[in-house]
Amino acid sequence: MANSEEIIPSYWYNIIPDLPKPLPPPRDPPDAEFSRIDLLRKIMPSEVLRQQFTVERFVSIPREVREAYINIGRPTPLVRAKRLEEFLNTPAKIYFKYEGATPTGSHKINTALPQAYFSMKEGVDHLVTETGAGQWGTAVALSARMYGLNSTIFMVKVSYEQKPQRRTIMQLYGAQVFASPTSHTEYGKKVLNENPNHPGSLGIAMSEAIEYALSNGYKYLVGSVLDVVVLHQSVIGLEAMKQLQELDEEPDVLVGCVGGGSNFGGFAFPFIGSKKGSKYIAVGSYEIPKFSKGAYNYDFPDSAGLLPLVKMITLGRDYVPPPIYSGGLRYHGAAPSLSMLIKEGIVDWREYNEKEIFEAAQIFLQTQGIVPAPESSHAIRAVIEEAREAKIKNEKKVIVFNLSGHGLLDLPNYESMMKRIG
Amino acid sequence: MLVSYATLGYPNREDYLRLVKGLVEAGSDILEIGLLPKYAKYDGPVIRRSYKQVSTWLTDFWSLLEETRRAVDVPLVILTYLEDWVSSLSQVLAKMKEVGIDGVLFPDLLIDFVDEYEKYVNEIKSHGLSAVIFTSPSVPDPLIHKVSRLSDMFLYYGVRPTTGVPLPVSVDSLITRVRTLVNNKLVVGFGLSDIEDMKKALKAGADGVAIGTVYIEEIERNGVESAISLARKFRGILDGA
Repeated sequence: MANSEEIIPSYWYNIIPDLPKPLPPPRDPPDAEFSRIDLLRKIMPSEVLRQQFTVERFVSIPREVREAYINIGRPTPLVRAKRLEEFLNTPAKIYFKYEGATPTGSHKINTALPQAYFSMKEGVDHLVTETGAGQWGTAVALSARMYGLNSTIFMVKVSYEQKPQRRTIMQLYGAQVFASPTSHTEYGKKVLNENPNHPGSLGIAMSEAIEYALSNGYKYLVGSVLDVVVLHQSVIGLEAMKQLQELDEEPDVLVGCVGGGSNFGGFAFPFIGSKKGSKYIAVGSYEIPKFSKGAYNYDFPDSAGLLPLVKMITLGRDYVPPPIYSGGLRYHGAAPSLSMLIKEGIVDWREYNEKEIFEAAQIFLQTQGIVPAPESSHAIRAVIEEAREAKIKNEKKVIVFNLSGHGLLDLPNYESMMKRIG
Repeated sequence: MLVSYATLGYPNREDYLRLVKGLVEAGSDILEIGLLPKYAKYDGPVIRRSYKQVSTWLTDFWSLLEETRRAVDVPLVILTYLEDWVSSLSQVLAKMKEVGIDGVLFPDLLIDFVDEYEKYVNEIKSHGLSAVIFTSPSVPDPLIHKVSRLSDMFLYYGVRPTTGVPLPVSVDSLITRVRTLVNNKLVVGFGLSDIEDMKKALKAGADGVAIGTVYIEEIERNGVESAISLARKFRGILDGA
């Protein structure tokens, strides 16, 4: 057995050089009044930006970041879901990689840490970002603190009011948390002028965060969709590959849920790149049907339209997701690299509705004990279906999925689902 | 090899013609001439500004191309978006040949037309024109290797995702890597405005550099003569001076 620290890779994996086709580059819209690509340069830490556009297959993880990964409890466990297998009476073996085991309860910390580290190295002392439900903001707040930096989080006002626990965690980590829209930015003032009771949105919070970073000379951290985020998240899949090797297992099916695509990509891309596994399933929400109804087009990754256009599967940046329980899946697009792999037929997709994922969550928590994040329950649903199919066909396949987060801060959502679905 | 870029008709007819002559006298081996596109989707803000200015007056670009041909004797490569010509490609290529153009480079070939790129490369060659292929870090290794043999004159490798925005990239590691894949002359472009980057690219195995954005910025600031002096300076670096 390798000792646990040896499981943590020394390199992140970048799938870009291994894609079947060139990844269409980010671009500015026609007749743009300013260059969004140039804006990236002003708001992102420069090493993060360099990694965003790197062509190297493997990018070295700085020693300090690897130490920070150890400090937050990496490698996260790879657990065999034996009770779930028994419950499903399947010949398939089921494993899950448990990203809920990090202090912030989800995979988001894997990219917040290196982004904060590179900011610190560049002499930045203050980080800014936006957050909806709070997972990303929590990850940034902790990462900033770990490197002795200040952080400001623009939290969508409605979440700020409805999810006080997340706000409290960020504040405990030392972050300054604002309910967006705020009067700290010109954009926020404009929104408040039009409607003093505006509930806020992720687009508004992002616009405020970017403006705040620009006007104060701070740096802005990006939480999903961009290639650099998927790159950092590859720590999940690289660890899982080693952990499976230790167990002498060859994976057949790899499953993950998709909000913007960074947890799925981080988990599955190292397997795809090294041609391990024969089936990769990206799972989205039926209520936000990007895979079944989205177009493969150039679109803004952010609803505010401040970032460069990227080519991706998208429902359109003006699409307003319905207010479902899985805040992390309420996003109109999917990362460009993942979008291409789906379009090329290398990655399969599924979409499940609230009832289907609630059942899956119940089965999982009653067999394995962990309350899964509602987002991750989408992956669980697909795993259950694969395992049932294996039973019908009597196949001894190995199914591995990413349990991207726990759901202990989503209990009000589960309570509401229990009432409605039972 | 020094490949110098000019936007056709920028900053105005007279200065443009002075510029192309000057760039050649300064030691450019090849001139790349950009045609005003409908949507400069893969160009950065500086090149876009030049297009915008040209769009206010240039209507007959063929006659200006003919004048360019008469003004200089180095190979002329036209940089234009395939998207703008898909429906009339054969006529346009024939006309280019007729006015004495030597080669064509479509920046969108391997992005928006990647499934049919061979067909378009063959079409360019069938008109007796050179097909110069544009690649970048987002082109997968096997494809770079394949197209490097199809590309005439040289393989163009743009190191930055868009022109004229100095995004941080590791020029030397990018070039070292791509050099092993390319069995052709390798010309590196896109924002190699800084002398250090240029030296790194050459040291890492590039056969030449393509310069564009930095000339336009120089013209905006100090005029055409100053851009020509820059070309002289770049020539010096290439010659090891």
